[in-house]
Amino acid sequence: MGRLIARFVQYNNQNLELVDVFESGCEKKIIKDEKIDSISKTYPTARWFERKIKDDYNVTIQGAYDNRVLLHHERFPKIHPMRKEFNKKSIDEVDFTPYPYEVINGEGVFNVSVGPIHAGIIEPGHFHFSQAGEQILHLEVRHFYKYRGIEKMCEGKTIEEIEKIVARISGNESVAYQSALNSIKFQSLHVKEDINQQLQNAILLELERLVHHFTDIGFIPNDGGFGAALSLGSKYAEDSKEILNHLSGSRFGFDSVSQSLHLENKKDMLLEFVSNMTKEIEWFEDWVSDIPSLWDRLDTTGPLSLKEAKYYGCVGVVARGSGLSNDVRNKSEIYKNYGFKEARDSVGDVASRFKIRLFEIKNSLQMVKNMIRDLKSFDISTCKEFKDGEFDSFVESSIGELYMHIKLKDGLIERFYVRDPSFINWQALHLMMPKDIIADFPLINKSCDLSYAGNDL
Amino acid sequence: MIRFWKKRFTSKIVTDNLKLDTEMIEIKKELKSLVAKKFARSLSIRMVDSGSCNACESECNALSNPYYNLDRLGISFVASPRHADVLLVSGVNTFNMNHHLIDAYNQMPSPKYVITVGDCTKLEDSVFDKTFAIAGEIDKKIPVSYHIKGCAPTPNEIMKGLLMFLKSFPK
Repeated sequence: MGRLIARFVQYNNQNLELVDVFESGCEKKIIKDEKIDSISKTYPTARWFERKIKDDYNVTIQGAYDNRVLLHHERFPKIHPMRKEFNKKSIDEVDFTPYPYEVINGEGVFNVSVGPIHAGIIEPGHFHFSQAGEQILHLEVRHFYKYRGIEKMCEGKTIEEIEKIVARISGNESVAYQSALNSIKFQSLHVKEDINQQLQNAILLELERLVHHFTDIGFIPNDGGFGAALSLGSKYAEDSKEILNHLSGSRFGFDSVSQSLHLENKKDMLLEFVSNMTKEIEWFEDWVSDIPSLWDRLDTTGPLSLKEAKYYGCVGVVARGSGLSNDVRNKSEIYKNYGFKEARDSVGDVASRFKIRLFEIKNSLQMVKNMIRDLKSFDISTCKEFKDGEFDSFVESSIGELYMHIKLKDGLIERFYVRDPSFINWQALHLMMPKDIIADFPLINKSCDLSYAGNDL
Repeated sequence: MIRFWKKRFTSKIVTDNLKLDTEMIEIKKELKSLVAKKFARSLSIRMVDSGSCNACESECNALSNPYYNLDRLGISFVASPRHADVLLVSGVNTFNMNHHLIDAYNQMPSPKYVITVGDCTKLEDSVFDKTFAIAGEIDKKIPVSYHIKGCAPTPNEIMKGLLMFLKSFPK
């Protein structure tokens, strides 16, 4: 059946229905007696999916080895918000119930808790380390501090009403989220998307990837003690954001995908940007390749083997760094025609993920250059007749494969489900720790650069 | 390495005033003098994300890039609320973060000020609806001195906001 992509629950009339999305296809099953069987022993990442189902719907997971709460933190009341009968808009805090962390005990072993508020300007999340001196024995990632209830928020709305919300689920992946929704929109309209609109959105998506990767190629060396790269990386990111702002009216591409932006009038500007950046990134690569103290930090740090990546079904940059082929763009005709090459490395350490990003930056620049040449003006479809049904879409965001599912009933959304690539990769993060010391954690974490907001919803 | 030094000596400063208009130069000047006057040349900001989409964080990170270079004006982002004069809050304030946000505020030494950044800190201005998982109402939980609008506010807008905050500041 291949990799587990998602596992979630939705309503089928009055019954609960379990949906398993595997690489080979989708399986649906009506839930009887509010009980389902756990698959977390075969698919380790099923663990968070199942804990989420339990919190959301109060469905018992039989045979699960982890029955702790996931979304509902210490002061959260015992509610099951995704059930139809739940319609409260606010809840009250209840007494503090401690969360039992996964810890290793023993003589001299101690625990380090980090977060939710971190030292840098980053999103909130909690990391719980079991340490033997400097050596990391185990890490538990605990998230959902940013849990906003997006799934419930989107229920009962039309597709057009949720466009603005979806664009702001995760700022780093805004264009990817919008593209996923856009694809579902066209499936529901039973209209084929204009090739030029597809090209425009592909250009925006590649620009978003550039912003994200440029930021990372600055931050990864910075966490490895080479600050000069951050100055350059953040300069490149700023230049890319400004280009995105000129093209779409927002530095993050918010609310840009379902419009006609007339990029064909801005060809010269975009081509100039691409040629400048191509020169810059070549120079940058040449420069950092020559810094031995940097590669001393990056090489062999935070390794994830191919076997582990496969077992956990990792996606995106993390998977490709470990030698696993996983890129939604492989299946897209547009990308194939415009020079897409899948990045791949076999080592799986921080250096691999850094090199993957460098490769993808060069590839994205090349593709933007090829795409903008062929782009012509187009009109937005005015069709508004959304047909009911269940729709799925996949988009390769800057982090990895994004999966979105929408069930429409009477033109309104009955179930909105989205699985951010980070939801899978966060669960594999602890595998990269045991060979390293705690001071390497920021570097390893940054090399994966996962989203908290998209994960928590 | 030789290519690096060659580039170092042949290229000029590539980020200087490239797109920072005259207005921005004025704002920078004013910011620097106000920080000097009202915060003894050093304004420390602690940023707390209470449930944003990460765009506001990304823009605050951008403030330290070579174009804006906020550190040069005496404004720095610090690692702990205990080192901070100002708490910069972004996001909708989720139920799960509510307690931690108030905790961070309580850990700050007095005198302390709170600035909210981004439209979603005021739920009525944001695209998000109130749900059970959003506690919201940041201004009712901690005393907010200034609000910076925008979704997401650009680094320019954040700098202007900081300037307005400093101007409104009685001293």
